[in-house]
Amino acid sequence: MTRILLKNKLDECIAAWRSAGFSVLAPVKRNDLSRFEEVERSADMALDLQITERTIKDHFFPQTEPLLRYTIKKHDLDSQEMLPPDIRRVFFGVRPCDASGLAIDDPLFGWDYKDQYWFKRRDNAVIVTIACTTSDDFCMCTSVKLAPDSTKGSDVMLRPLQNGTGWQVEALSDRGTALLDSVSSILQESSETPAPPASVPVKFDVDKAMEWLADPANFESHFWKEISLRCIGCGSCTFLCPTCHCFDIQDEGDTYTGIRRKNWDSCSFTMFTMHTSGHNPRNTQSTRWRQRIMHKFNYYRGKFGVNSCSGCGRCTRQCPVDMGITETLQAISNLQG
Amino acid sequence: MGIQVQFRKEAAELLSSGAVKLVIGYGEGSTPERRRPVFVRTPAETERLVLDGACVANLSTYLISEGLLSDGKNVAVFLKPDGIRSINILAAEAQLNPEQVVIFGFDIENGEARPLAGRKASDFTQVVEAAKAAGLSPELQKEAERLDHISAAERFEYWKEQFSKCIKCYACRQVCPMCYCRRCIVDVNQPQWINTSSHTLGNFEWNIVRAFHLAGRCVACGGCDRSCPVNIPLRLINHRMAKEVLDAFDYYAGESTDQKPVLATFRQDDPETFIL
Repeated sequence: MTRILLKNKLDECIAAWRSAGFSVLAPVKRNDLSRFEEVERSADMALDLQITERTIKDHFFPQTEPLLRYTIKKHDLDSQEMLPPDIRRVFFGVRPCDASGLAIDDPLFGWDYKDQYWFKRRDNAVIVTIACTTSDDFCMCTSVKLAPDSTKGSDVMLRPLQNGTGWQVEALSDRGTALLDSVSSILQESSETPAPPASVPVKFDVDKAMEWLADPANFESHFWKEISLRCIGCGSCTFLCPTCHCFDIQDEGDTYTGIRRKNWDSCSFTMFTMHTSGHNPRNTQSTRWRQRIMHKFNYYRGKFGVNSCSGCGRCTRQCPVDMGITETLQAISNLQG
Repeated sequence: MGIQVQFRKEAAELLSSGAVKLVIGYGEGSTPERRRPVFVRTPAETERLVLDGACVANLSTYLISEGLLSDGKNVAVFLKPDGIRSINILAAEAQLNPEQVVIFGFDIENGEARPLAGRKASDFTQVVEAAKAAGLSPELQKEAERLDHISAAERFEYWKEQFSKCIKCYACRQVCPMCYCRRCIVDVNQPQWINTSSHTLGNFEWNIVRAFHLAGRCVACGGCDRSCPVNIPLRLINHRMAKEVLDAFDYYAGESTDQKPVLATFRQDDPETFIL
């Protein structure tokens, strides 16, 4: 016997969490875009989507975020920090790849300076993940050693029941346990079995690829030029990535007063590494694409012991010229023979 | 002989004779429905070239890659009529020498590619004239008219909602053959003229700046619209600007390699209704 949540009880759950002070966010399809938004009822949720076009990263590391307000006075400077509000949030219906993405980024945002903007939101969030029972042509979680039912980064795991009426529930953390306890009267004991997770084919040998990437002899390989010929240098792969985390700091205002903001930036952009002198150490698209791959599958692991890719496949799924991590790592693992 | 076989053969001949150094065409993509740009330098590699109804991207954008044409050598490229118009504009705006561009012209009818006769941009005058005569896309016209007939406040709300989705990835700019500036206005940062933030104001600034810069230059290839990862209907903005320019100046972008850029020139009889 395990605990289950029936789909027809989901509205009661949402109501209970909302009355306990949580905002509930779930996949929503609105204005021709799927993303996580606040919902009031289950009818607003698009839980049938394979994956949202945008990631839940947006809600922890927004595309633009005010850091502080400043006023420059005659002899000194006034500044007030603008921390995110204290809102407790339930993210319902997260995919395992997106939940893993948060866990992958946690060490980055906390390794030297603890980024309050990230952790304030992380500490106030409960991630309720639904295991995938289907996948599409671009899913590649198994290629990066995750799985359609990975629990990484999740507080609660929901496994869809075979009969389609609901989900088997499992708490994975204290926060998850507390969230489920708050709706214990809505959950039921059941012997219904969960559906098997999706079977996602392994598309490349990540170990072989990492070995090739770690060899300094390959840094200047002609491979990089060939693979990135068609890259147009937009930032869509980085901005849709659940783990890409680069940002720029900008002051917006007039001479005396303004707001300092943290804005997404992308290693795909020419300007990303442009020096004040005009020299650009990554002055071609091939060096920028190499950086993206090296960062994800070589440098990040070196620093934090994990690859910076959770296999969601958005980089290929939404690339204007059909590039992406899958093609590049496939090609690299083939080079290794 | 099917168009794909014919174009492969001709591409191989051009490469082996040294008439072109590179052929830019389409190849198989990561799924059966997808096509991706491919770059072919040897006759043997022409086997990678694919041409069918799924080949919709405007490949002229690759011709403005820095340095590609600066050695004076020729490059061949697969182009639909919209891409041929892009070549005309790029030539008229002095961005490339049309003599260096060998065109494999094709059009898609009922989901199938069929060849267009010609090799140089100037060979396709009739194709471009036929496109002009056919008028702006009727489907786009219908969508655009719906927006024309709502109130200004409603229209503002509509675009505010749409632009709120923008993440400033600049895929629209990067895929566009008309966006050839080596340093885009939004990348000019000493000082930062345009906010890099993608909040409502920043997103309006970006999308409106781009719309203005494309007025009288966009060929409606749809590249920006297809590339937008957050599905902003950019086609509607560009269509509206194209219609404005057509109505006000009887100007259809990309008619020939020596057509004067509409907003960079003037005529004695231009309408001056905005001057009091």
